[in-house]
Amino acid sequence: MNAQSTRVLAPRQLLAAGKRSAGRAPQRCFSCSTRCRQGQQQTEIPRKDPRDGAGTTHFGFETVAEALKEQKVGAVFSSVASSYDTMNDLMSLGIHRLWKDHFVRNLNPGRNPLTSSSSEQKGWNILDIAGGTGDIAFRMLDHASTINNDAHTKVTVADINPDMLAEGRKRALETPYAPSPRLSFVEANAEKLDMIPDSSIDLYTVAFGIRNFTHKDVALREAYRVLKPGGVFACLEFSKVNNTLFEAVYKRWSFSAIPLIGQVVAGDRDSYQYLVESIERFPSQTGFRDMIKEAGFLVPGKGWEDLTGGIAAIHKGVKPT
Amino acid sequence: MPPVRLSNQLLGTLRATSLRPAAAWRQRCNYHSHEHTQPPPFLPAESAILSAAIAHVPHYGFTVDALKLGARDAGYLDVSTNILPRGVFDLVNYHLVTQRLALKDTVQFPSGGEQGKRLGLGGKVRTLALARLRANEPVIHRLQEALAIMAQPSYVSPSLAELARLADEIWYLAGDKSVDSSWYTKRAALSAIYSATEVFMTQDTSKDFADTEQFLDARLEDNMKVGGFLGALSEWADYTAHSAVNVLRSKGLRV
Repeated sequence: MNAQSTRVLAPRQLLAAGKRSAGRAPQRCFSCSTRCRQGQQQTEIPRKDPRDGAGTTHFGFETVAEALKEQKVGAVFSSVASSYDTMNDLMSLGIHRLWKDHFVRNLNPGRNPLTSSSSEQKGWNILDIAGGTGDIAFRMLDHASTINNDAHTKVTVADINPDMLAEGRKRALETPYAPSPRLSFVEANAEKLDMIPDSSIDLYTVAFGIRNFTHKDVALREAYRVLKPGGVFACLEFSKVNNTLFEAVYKRWSFSAIPLIGQVVAGDRDSYQYLVESIERFPSQTGFRDMIKEAGFLVPGKGWEDLTGGIAAIHKGVKPT
Repeated sequence: MPPVRLSNQLLGTLRATSLRPAAAWRQRCNYHSHEHTQPPPFLPAESAILSAAIAHVPHYGFTVDALKLGARDAGYLDVSTNILPRGVFDLVNYHLVTQRLALKDTVQFPSGGEQGKRLGLGGKVRTLALARLRANEPVIHRLQEALAIMAQPSYVSPSLAELARLADEIWYLAGDKSVDSSWYTKRAALSAIYSATEVFMTQDTSKDFADTEQFLDARLEDNMKVGGFLGALSEWADYTAHSAVNVLRSKGLRV
């Protein structure tokens, strides 16, 4: 109980430190935390309209008010933005790069001009949600240009966190895409993509982001709205390990090593404690597959592809025509 | 005699109760898949894209390009090809499955007719195998690509399963009703012969695939010879073993 309350405290201190999040609505924040404490007594109740903001959700292993989760996640990612890449390499032993490469290669973005007539639309319109640092976006553009000789495919990187976007903008300067109209950055909440018109996107990707969304079902429905008929929703996310023995090793690594690495390298244990807890709370492969189906998508094959024994999984859905 | 009657009654009720589940069981055992319509092998969206893509195979081969063009023809986007989890292999698999299922409609044996009588089990198998090989004709110049894709480690096992299903389909349509171990040997032999002939066919330049036909006949004949030889051999071994046992018995050994 004591340990848990300190953990609750730490992100709140972080939150106060971040000017932006603290300045947004301190009053609402306060009122929500009292409601949150009331909510802690009862376990999760399925809710009809999850967007009215009065219910609770989980933030790692804690239960917090729904309105608060967005800010807490914001604080976590603001604090990890600068060391994001180093930390990913250390935590996954570099394997996250292989996952991302495989993810992009399998999606095979870009339209080869040799097999398409000139009258048709050129290139794909890709929306990369929660892709602040541009990891997936740069890979998409590289694949489209070098593999499919496509110089028209556009990627819009959307992220709720301005610090992550700033990191992405900084990194984009090292790629040939920074000055071109093929890459753009937008600050947006995946649950309310008002700036994106209906049926305008070919490919919607979200890599290691959907876990942090307050309402995953709302985000999925929003993805369904912005995708063209026949468009694809593709998600790369941590998932459940299939092998019991491997799971024991993996759990040991994620609950002991990762927060420690976070403390030593990034000087922020709590953010990485949140990371491993949020992975634990994310639904299993079948559970998430069913959520995608519920949003109206067609699911290819069994619906997902396991990576490295199920540590991560690629889920896809196709919007029916 | 009351005890006898009682036991008779008991036996009667026992028989009555034991009969009913037996009948239900027999009914369940009489399920024949051909009497029931099978679910379609592909989802509507999948088959829309794949059937349009297969038309592009003669020109583009079993490639992602053919898939993308097929998706466009079917009113989908390039990206919609992600509905196929195995990508190009799904296109190859579509060709294999549709051609296998088409066999029962393209090849008909008139029942009881003169031809039906003349054509034995072996003849029917030959006709069916040949019909299936001829179905490869439109894509024969691309078939080596398909074989290369099927030989990729992760696709070997589904490809072999599809070959087994084809061999089973051919024997079934030929009217094979064997219920002994020859059920297995027949299918194994036909699988081997069919795959060998298909590889031969990819390099066949003769007119109307006459060489392929000859190759198939030669392999089927080999099979008959080997089968006959193995049959004679086992008969000889059986006879010799029995004789040996009998000799031992005549010497007073208890075997």
